[in-house]
Amino acid sequence: MRTTMNAIAAVLLILSVALAGCSQRPSGADGSAGSQSPASSPANPESVDASSGGDQIRLTVYSTMNETKNQEMMKSIAADFMKENPNIQVDFQFPGSEYENILKVKMAANDLPDVFDTHGWAVIRYGQYLADLRDEAWVSQLTDTIKPVVTGEDGKVHALVLSEAKDGITYNADVLEKYGIQPPQTFEELMNAAEKIKTESKGEVSPFYMSGVDNYMIGQFLDQYATSLLISPEQNDAQSLLDGTFDWNKWTPLAKSLLELKNKGYLNKDVLTAKFSDMPQRFAQGKVAFVIGGPSFADDVYKVNPNVKIGYMPVTSMVAGDSPNFSGGERYTMGAWKDGKHLAEAKKLIAFFAKPENMSKIANATKLPAGLKNIESSHEFSSYYEQYANVRVFPYFDRVYLPNGMWDVMCKTGTALLAGGVTPEQFSQKMKSEYERLRNQ
Amino acid sequence: MTGKSKTGWLTFLSVLICLIHLLPFYILITTSFKARDDLSSKWVLPGYLYLDNFVNAWREAHLAAAFRNNLIVTALSVLLIVLIGSVAAYPLARRQTSWNKFVYALFVSALIVPPLTILVPLYKYMVDIGGMNTYWGIVLLHVTFNLPMTIFLYTGFIGTIPRDLDEASMIDGAGRLALFYRIILPLLKPITATVVILTGVAVWNDYQFSVFFLQKLELRTFTVALSSFFGSYTNEIGWVAAGSLIGALPMAAIYLFLQRYFITGLSSGAVKG
Amino acid sequence: MAAPVRQASTAPPAKAGYVKRLVRSGAPLNLLYAPALLLFAVFIFYPFLKGIQISFTNWNGYNQDFKWIGFGNYSRLLADPDIKTVVKNTFIYGIGSTILQNVVGLLYALLLNTSIRTRGVVRTVVYLPVIISALIMGYIWYFFFQYDGGAINDILLLFQDQPANLLGNPKANVWVITFVNTFQYLGIAMVLFLAGLQSIPKEYDEAATIDGAGPVSRFFRVTWPLLAPSFTVSMVLNLIGGLKLFDVIAAMTNSGPGYASASLSTMMYLLYFGREDAGYAATIGVLMFVIISVISIAALVMLRRREVSA
Repeated sequence: MRTTMNAIAAVLLILSVALAGCSQRPSGADGSAGSQSPASSPANPESVDASSGGDQIRLTVYSTMNETKNQEMMKSIAADFMKENPNIQVDFQFPGSEYENILKVKMAANDLPDVFDTHGWAVIRYGQYLADLRDEAWVSQLTDTIKPVVTGEDGKVHALVLSEAKDGITYNADVLEKYGIQPPQTFEELMNAAEKIKTESKGEVSPFYMSGVDNYMIGQFLDQYATSLLISPEQNDAQSLLDGTFDWNKWTPLAKSLLELKNKGYLNKDVLTAKFSDMPQRFAQGKVAFVIGGPSFADDVYKVNPNVKIGYMPVTSMVAGDSPNFSGGERYTMGAWKDGKHLAEAKKLIAFFAKPENMSKIANATKLPAGLKNIESSHEFSSYYEQYANVRVFPYFDRVYLPNGMWDVMCKTGTALLAGGVTPEQFSQKMKSEYERLRNQ
Repeated sequence: MTGKSKTGWLTFLSVLICLIHLLPFYILITTSFKARDDLSSKWVLPGYLYLDNFVNAWREAHLAAAFRNNLIVTALSVLLIVLIGSVAAYPLARRQTSWNKFVYALFVSALIVPPLTILVPLYKYMVDIGGMNTYWGIVLLHVTFNLPMTIFLYTGFIGTIPRDLDEASMIDGAGRLALFYRIILPLLKPITATVVILTGVAVWNDYQFSVFFLQKLELRTFTVALSSFFGSYTNEIGWVAAGSLIGALPMAAIYLFLQRYFITGLSSGAVKG
Repeated sequence: MAAPVRQASTAPPAKAGYVKRLVRSGAPLNLLYAPALLLFAVFIFYPFLKGIQISFTNWNGYNQDFKWIGFGNYSRLLADPDIKTVVKNTFIYGIGSTILQNVVGLLYALLLNTSIRTRGVVRTVVYLPVIISALIMGYIWYFFFQYDGGAINDILLLFQDQPANLLGNPKANVWVITFVNTFQYLGIAMVLFLAGLQSIPKEYDEAATIDGAGPVSRFFRVTWPLLAPSFTVSMVLNLIGGLKLFDVIAAMTNSGPGYASASLSTMMYLLYFGREDAGYAATIGVLMFVIISVISIAALVMLRRREVSA
């Protein structure tokens, strides 16, 4: 018995060594062939070479980019920067889904990266830790929509916005074409489209896709439509939300429309347990029509089926007489830690990324509008952004009108609503009590 | 007697149990050998040889570096755990004063502390002492958090070694410490195998500490590196499956080698303690 | 106790100084655990006390400033409707998987203690999940229970039209997670029982056979009482593990839908990082520490008593 075990173990060991051997070859080959890998290979001997005179300065940069392709793009820009500035070594880190948690712990310990992404929280969450960039040359170029978002009350500029979020609704153009549907303008039209898709496809296509596991997808619906319902109309509740007099019963219709999506069968049947990452595949198979939010997942769709046509449109209006809108804010940014040891170099790096040619690269890779004016970009969504250039953009609802900490309450309670755990009225009640508790803190 | 047919039945039963327990690994294997656009059922084998997942997982997650980090961190941690733990257990097993009983309870109660309650204070501490993104920093954490189990096992085991042995050599004039090294330590082999497997696996697979304390790409450990594929935005299940297979191999090999001692160690350490 | 006796027999008469007596009493031996104690103090006890301190604040988890709010978080705990579900789930995870692991683990161990030729393979296969990260195993199990394209639904669809949504059903998913946790750590219970069985001298069993006892009565008269120590260790380890369960939940349901499958551990995580409610999260941590201490100490005392009487 023991000898068989040893034999198995030996085989496993050989196998693992063999695997290590054969899969290392392509990685090595790629490393030498690729022109842009200095930052990716740790402790690169050429760049650490201290013979260049002055001391080597290391800048640590944290980014929320997830796609390998985009990460490589960022690293290649950093590589160009290092060529110009041989005494500076740029270390990019991409912690992926742990980004926010790591940054929170880092803030608690007052140990931040020299440069980091504020992904929508430049003022509220990261404000205390960011250096003022108002004297940088690129500040005058910030777009009119984004400038107020990253500028504090005292005029402090918190970050360079590489890409703006302009969140609307992503749709499967093939599916819409198949059922003869024009991109809807109002919520009612959207519901009619959903009904048509559901019945005519005999349930094969789910009009909307959401996830109760990655429940920010549910939060995204609530956040974007809260703007359509409460902020965008002429008669709106912006003021009462800000001063705390908002009547939370007005939240109930929004909760009801979310629940209606479920009850009418417009959501994927497994909404409670599906994950965001299950979606691109189904989208590629033509099983999903609309996804609330931006088309950042497009590349994952093409991996399964490169021929899918993806369309993009603004959020429909929800109140009669109102017009569609986008929810906007920072998506990818670069801010500098105010207590960083190399603040000057950090600013220099940010300025380098702000160069038009680099901003173009970023816009093309992320498929998002740039945060600076007059940046050329061409990708499959640029025509949509041009088409909707005049649609109003509102800042994300939760960032402006809800106290910090509410986002998660909204996502979780929205999920519980779909699970049947709370009623729309209880949802409003929960929002009200948390809103008041957090405001009074 | 029906001894033979009974054995036959039991063998059949055991094979059945094996099959059931292998199911998740079967799914793991089919997934790891399938291409991204292959949407066939997870039960179906691919029917073609496709190794891209292994290649991609290895390259994109920098698994070569992760392997090196895991080996260094695990080896150092286990070594220190065994050294510090075995030594600490000796007085706790041999001198059962009420103070030592209290200390023992204190050690074991640390098993219960929820790691998240101490994360932030711990992190601040690590920043202050410069232990962030260093091997020694994470090793100290692993050692500390694996000590409760280690001390628990060693104390139990030493308790089963007859005291006569100590006393005989005391009369010989051997000092207590010398005694420990000459007489007790060699007897600890089986329980040490148990400790090596249990703590080795815990350190090798650790996610919660490694993700916070080894943030640099080049210092990432295996589970953390793989987790970048199954974050909420990415969808590379083939890569995760392939990477998990690669990552499980070393631990499986060590387990197979130490398995025999492992059970002996448990039977005298934990079970008689 | 042994020490005084030894001193009486080997110590030179009277006058030996304090230091000498101390040395002879064996107290310096305690220095051997000083390194361990130091590590504990620095990396566990001190941070834990800090953590308890946080539970009396309204800290959001990252800002430099916060307010002391006394027992505010503790009174929120009493009024929080989600906490009831979460505590209930925690008990199901802790106690449910402990029972399953011990019952199945014992049965497996009994099987492996026979002379069948496959026993080495079974032992290895059942233990295998323990070696793999629970987070990754959780993901593999997600592929099983997944609604669309999940391995279980692929089979169900052969027999019925509708796939099952086990993870989405708040009543079912808690048990699915309990099952997966059991599967993950079953190997530990099995190995502990196996070790216990192997340390029972064969003569006991033979003596009982000669007395005319059948296999069942032999099990309850001989094996069961002698397995008590295995049982104690396995129970306590599994209880602590189950009550602290985190990885499997995070991988399979992310505590959802809503908080329907959350445990105290995952709830704490969600509050800490998601709701930016670190003070309250720390309060949950304290609650968790108290609950686990009480249950595991009670179990330990009960089980040890049984060992003694057996």
